Formats: sequence, structure tokens, C-alpha cells
Amino acid sequence: MMTETKYVDDIYDYKGLWDAPSKCGLKIIRKSDEVIVIATDLYDKNPGTSVTDCCAMFATKLCEEKNINHKDLVFIEHTPDLKSKLSFNNETFYRVEFDWSDDKFCNPKWQSVSKKEINDFIEIK
Amino acid sequence: MKFQLIYPKWEKLEGQTVFHLPPHGPVVFAASLPEYVEVEFIDENVEPLNYDDNVDFVGISMLLTTQIKRGWEIATEYRKRGKKVIFGGISTMLHAEETMQYADSIFLGESEGRMEEVFSDFRNNKLKKVYNFINDRPDISIVGPARRDILKREFYYHKGIQMVDLFHASRGCRFNCYPCAVAYLGGREFRPRPIEKSIEELETIENNRIFIVDNSLAGSTKWEKELFKEMIPLKKNWCSHTIEDKPEVLDLAAQAGAWYVYQAIFDTSDYIKERIKRYHDYGISVEGTILLGLDDHTEYKIKKLIDFLLEIDLDLAEFTVLTPFPHTKAYDDLIKQNRIFNLNWNDYNAGKVVYQPKNMTVDKLQELYHYAWDTFYKDETQNQKMFRLMLKVANKEVENGTYKSRYNDLNAVSFGKDVIR
Repeated sequence: MMTETKYVDDIYDYKGLWDAPSKCGLKIIRKSDEVIVIATDLYDKNPGTSVTDCCAMFATKLCEEKNINHKDLVFIEHTPDLKSKLSFNNETFYRVEFDWSDDKFCNPKWQSVSKKEINDFIEIK
Repeated sequence: MKFQLIYPKWEKLEGQTVFHLPPHGPVVFAASLPEYVEVEFIDENVEPLNYDDNVDFVGISMLLTTQIKRGWEIATEYRKRGKKVIFGGISTMLHAEETMQYADSIFLGESEGRMEEVFSDFRNNKLKKVYNFINDRPDISIVGPARRDILKREFYYHKGIQMVDLFHASRGCRFNCYPCAVAYLGGREFRPRPIEKSIEELETIENNRIFIVDNSLAGSTKWEKELFKEMIPLKKNWCSHTIEDKPEVLDLAAQAGAWYVYQAIFDTSDYIKERIKRYHDYGISVEGTILLGLDDHTEYKIKKLIDFLLEIDLDLAEFTVLTPFPHTKAYDDLIKQNRIFNLNWNDYNAGKVVYQPKNMTVDKLQELYHYAWDTFYKDETQNQKMFRLMLKVANKEVENGTYKSRYNDLNAVSFGKDVIR
């Protein structure tokens, strides 16, 4: 598992779809006006649901658990490079925008973001 | 109590040989029903439904995504008539939230050891909306012999020739492949059935020809070898998904009746070529499964792959286009990239392009899919190649004294329908 530690501070356990015990890498950066969350796919080390598959539910519960105001959340999905020949195992970053309705996130929309943009954004040199 | 168990029909792929195998999920499920339940099974692919049958409770078992919309229609008709409907099976799990809208109840997970509760709730009018056992899998050793007695056997013959019977020796898969939902459905842990249970079940199957439907028998070499060793005296002939290509495994597999195996072919490497040769060296035929439309596929690369298939002496080939089934990494990736343009589940048959390919147009990938089938079967049709495989197995059966001749009473019938000559 080629997870770069600069994007992962903790392994986070969460309930995925139908309460499936699930895991992802997590980094939370609290700034004055926003809270950046990077959720990293653990591929085979995740026994349950991927973050993408339960994205809105995941973000809602994370805000509750980590005391994040939903309006401040900047949510990034990260899939690390598995160093394989297969193109679908390349590294990707997506910023996810949600609608907010009935006290929960819904309708996720993903926007691809470059690694440099992410690094600049979270001030990693 | 009369329980009607229904397997909805689906539209078969255009231009391909149509055949119907006796379904596996429903017969495995039926083995987990309480004794007091009288089950009537209807495979809608081979016989019509009558919504007005006198039944107490209706179950809809769905394997494929292309079955679900039909399953919803069936449920709606029964519910209009005041019958309670429960859904289960693989595609119920893949499409659970949507299916709930058409159901009195949905069952998620594996049914062994759970049906007493469900039927007790039904009888007490306390049926739950969801039975969620998706993360609470039963002990694999309690999986009993499937209830093949519920099948109407005459429907699974083509011109007097019986179709293979389906059987499983394990669940779960340690791999988590890009287009596959098995990790979500059956878990990442390979769970082999005890060898004696598998053998006991195989002994109950009168059919000499078996399709072992496990996602991969390659989960444990020790178990795989032991299984094959114990299968030798049964004199069955079988096809399966991938098995390991170690000489000691192939040797035992061949002795145990390995007829042909499916092998994913994803590139034109010597690794693939040698693997196919190794199977052939042990007399095991190979059906290549070729997935078209991955992000590194160009028109040139796909055509080169098809040329390669013709060089390596494959016995059969099956082409599919990448289909982003829910709860797969393929779905995750394509939904994030906003490349899925068709969410009509009837089109998720692995023959229609439902997403925007990376290196070509939708029409071009669709055209290449047809090109692949046409080119591979240009000199010898799919029927001719299948006939060769049938001949091979018949010869083996004659040699070991297990050959059964055609069932003459069904010579003029194909899957329950009269053959038009």
C-alpha cells in the first residue's frame, strides 16, 4: 500500500453502506475559515465501502464526529498511486462539492484537482 | 405455506447463442428455507408467470443488474394483488436502495441460518423492511446442498442435451478487481466450503457436467488441490473460472475432470500466451474473457489484442465492454469523472457502452465490441467452437463410461419451446 503519509495522519474507521466496517486514511487541516479533509482510499486494506461509494453519508458523519461546521468543509478524495501498470491505479485527487438538505450532505459532485494544487492548497512543499 | 420464488427474465445479448442454465442462487437460497415452506420456483426466462397463482408469499431472486427492472415490475403486480414481496440475491444487494421502493422487504447477505427469522416475521405480520446481514456472513460450513429439486428440469435441455448444473465450493474473493463487485458482495475473505460438504453435494448432482461458479478457485492452493483430489472418483467434467496454473494443480484438475476454464486476457504478453499453453498441455480448454474499453485501450490496442487471441489458439472467447456496476472501483472512478451517461439498468448487460470511453467515441467502442466478436468467430462460428468442446467432453465421458446419450423425448425442444425446423 503506497500511501504517502503527508496526506494521511490517521487511519479512520467508519460505517460504510449498510453499516459495513470500513477504513480510509484521514488528514484534517483546520484553518481560520475552513476545514480541509483529505480522505485517502486504502484499496485492499479497506474491508468495506469506499469513500466515493458513500461520500455524502461519510462527510455528514465526519462533520458530526469531528465537530466541523458543514459550511466550512473542504472535502478532498485521494486515491494513491499503486505503482502498477494499470491506469486506474494512478494517483488522483478530487474535490467534492455537496448540496446540504435535511441536515445532511447530498448530491456529491467531483472535480479533479492536480497534486500541485492540493499541495499548494494545504501548504505542503 | 406456499412461497413462490421467481427469477426474472432479462434480454439476452444481440447476436449471441441463446442458452439457459439452471439458476444457482435460487436453489442455494431454497436450501435455507424452513421445512414448513413449500417453494414453487419459476424461472421466467423459460416459463411464463401467472400473477394470480394461489401463493402466500413471493420472493424475487435477482442475479444480474439487467434483471432488476423486470423484478420491480413483477413485485408491483403482486403487491397490487395484496401479496407481500421480498427481494434477495446479488443484484438486490447492488441496487438495494432502489429496490426497497418496490418491496415489502429486502434481504441483504447470505441466507443460511436467517430464513427462520424472516418467515416467522412474515407469519406474524412483522416483516421488516430490511434484513441486513451483509456484514454478518454465516459459517460457511452450514451451507448445505442446493435444492435442485425445485428446478423444472425439462426447461434446461437443448434438443435433448442437458445443460450443465451450477455448483459452488467457496464464497468471497481475496482479490478486488477493478470491474468486479464480489468484494462488496461476498467479502474480501476467501471462504472455502469444507471439502466433504462440497463432495457430498457434487455426489447428489446427477448431471455429469458441472459449472463451478466460484469467482476464483485460486484462493488457497492447499484447499484447491484437496478439492480436485477428492473430485477425481466422481468422474464429473466441469468448467470454472480461473484456477491456478501450477503444474501440480493443473495435473489434479485434469484428473478431476477440468473441461475448460475462463481466463481473463488483458494484454498480449508472453505471460498470457504461456498460461494458455499450460492449460492446453494438461488437456484443459480455455475460454478467454476479454474486457474492452479500459482507459488505456485505443482502437489500435484493441485490434492488436484480438489478433493476439487468434494466435494463441483459444478455444472460445467472450467479449464484454467495461460496465460500471455499482459498488465497484470502475463505478467510483467513472462517476467521479462524470463519464457515466446511461443509468438505465436494462442496458448494463456488458454488451452496451454506457459510459464515455477515454480514447475513443462511444460509437467506436461499440463498433469494436462487435468487431471483436465477428473477427474472432470469422473462420469458425461460436456454435462450431462450442460443438467442438461438447465433442471433447462427450469423448471423455465415453472413455470413462459416464456418457449419457441425448434425451430423445426432448429432441425437438429447446429450453421448453418447440424447435422450429
